[in-house]
Amino acid sequence: MRGGIEAAPLIGAPAAARQRRRGPIVAPHGAAFAWLLNLPSIIVILALVGYPILNSVWLSLHRYNLKRPRIFAFVGLQNYADIASSPEFASALWVTAIFTLFAVMIIVLLGLVVALLLSREFPGCGIVRMLILIPWAIPPVVNGLMWQWIYDPKIGAMNALLKALGIITEYQGWLSNPPYAMAGLISAHVWNEFPVAAILFIGALQRVPLELYDAGRVDGCRSWQLFRHITLPWLGQALLIVLILQTMLALRVFDILYVLTAGGPGTATTTLTWATYLTTFESLDFGHGSAYAYIITLITLLLSTFYFRVLYRRSEFET
Amino acid sequence: MRQGRLATALMMGGGVLVSLYVLVPFSWLVLTSFMRESDVLVVPLHVNWGDLGLHNYRAFINPQGITAVVGSRAAENTLPSILNSLIAAGATALLNLVLGTLAGYSFARLRFPGRMPLLLMYLGSRMVPGIALIVPMYLTVKTLHLLDSLGALAVTYLTFTLPFTIWLMKGYFQVIPRSMEEAALVDGCSWPQMMWKILLPAAAPGLAASAIFAFMTAWNDYLFAVILTSTMASKTVPVVVAGFATDVTTERTLMATGGILAVIPPLLLALLCQRLIVRGLTAGAVKE
Repeated sequence: MRGGIEAAPLIGAPAAARQRRRGPIVAPHGAAFAWLLNLPSIIVILALVGYPILNSVWLSLHRYNLKRPRIFAFVGLQNYADIASSPEFASALWVTAIFTLFAVMIIVLLGLVVALLLSREFPGCGIVRMLILIPWAIPPVVNGLMWQWIYDPKIGAMNALLKALGIITEYQGWLSNPPYAMAGLISAHVWNEFPVAAILFIGALQRVPLELYDAGRVDGCRSWQLFRHITLPWLGQALLIVLILQTMLALRVFDILYVLTAGGPGTATTTLTWATYLTTFESLDFGHGSAYAYIITLITLLLSTFYFRVLYRRSEFET
Repeated sequence: MRQGRLATALMMGGGVLVSLYVLVPFSWLVLTSFMRESDVLVVPLHVNWGDLGLHNYRAFINPQGITAVVGSRAAENTLPSILNSLIAAGATALLNLVLGTLAGYSFARLRFPGRMPLLLMYLGSRMVPGIALIVPMYLTVKTLHLLDSLGALAVTYLTFTLPFTIWLMKGYFQVIPRSMEEAALVDGCSWPQMMWKILLPAAAPGLAASAIFAFMTAWNDYLFAVILTSTMASKTVPVVVAGFATDVTTERTLMATGGILAVIPPLLLALLCQRLIVRGLTAGAVKE
């Protein structure tokens, strides 16, 4: 995201300097040409993202339930007020917070550990670097199916393995027990998503100038201090991107939820996205459903802004 | 930097752990797809190594041979749904290349009023979660009488893949020396000729990476596919596979086989194009 800022129009810069910095040039055919090139993309985005956004804001301000399709009454912010005061919302918000917090935290830590390992050279490192692309390539629906099969209460591999190791004495219904269901959901999601984090961190680690480590070692730094004062600050920008990407992914998690727990048992894994889905497509209540969806959008925007404020400035002068 | 033997051994141990973490769950699914249903129902779990085979895969090619009622329906649908997915994801990738190249070029090379706001609009459109767009999209597609069509699905996928493609292509074009295209233009090439003959071949790795990411995103989608499709005219493979997984009467070995079949195309892409993907992911996210 910094590329856009770096490449902002260099108004008033001498032509030679502009060439050297590879900044944008004035179009031979004028600005109209640039807009012409963007026209198809603008049409697609406005028609299929812009219009739906405005439309669903409109829907969220109305009472509109497909079970009573004749009623389409303006209710202002009533839908939002209804949701905010409902116990279902409080529960879904809590479940979403727990899922997002743990999923993002574990993905970042696991991604970082794997990246620190795989950015070194050792026999077989190339093979492992290739293998971590396997979870990345697996569609979330198949990932859900795979873990459902592993967690199976009667004939699952997880039960068999844990019993053989003596960790459990009896087979467990992993997905029918609330805390286990949440843990199972998080670990399945982590398995699917940690490779992207690891790959981004490897990319960032390879850009750390090695002289810094030499200098640090001359100054008598221990390896932990080298990590703390050189590696970590250099990862700042990659960390920001991983955090934003993964938070967005965790907040909108749906496919794996649908296959693995369907929000259950009870409401133990009913996230905001799942609550939106239920409200919209089970109750056919499009008004409240759209309001729910907006709350998720708002949370995404707030969290991204927060990350930017906390991390962006700090990493700016280090990259 | 020289590493001691102990350090190397430790790192290799770590490499083995990571490999096991990645491979064990997936291998279990692969193994299940080769097993007989009667063997997977045995407690405690054991693998009948002598009786592994391709019988489940054969059942997908010739679904009439299957006894499980519900399982056979999903099995029948799997191969056609893979074809649907290939068409929808392939079309998404193609549309991305055309639109993403044009817009990406404008951001990499041209200075024009509204450049930053436009770029931010593209990137910002990715911030809105799909679940917030699905109802109005559904209503729009319904009004246009395009429900249950692969075309509508591909255009839908275009919206959430295009911003990343534009971003990626912008980056790839920016590192190509401008002198190449200026020389072509001086030599009398028109702009489209220059793009086709000079710039696009030079940006081939970027095009390939963009196409792969768009293809994968479209292939993986479940939310939009399940809402916008209803019959085998356009059901994609995640929809059929989710049908397997949420149906308790389905045979587990058939379910595993369906899952494996759905994984084969993206997995092949990932393993064959490893370098392109890794470079593309890193280039898309980390910019100086």
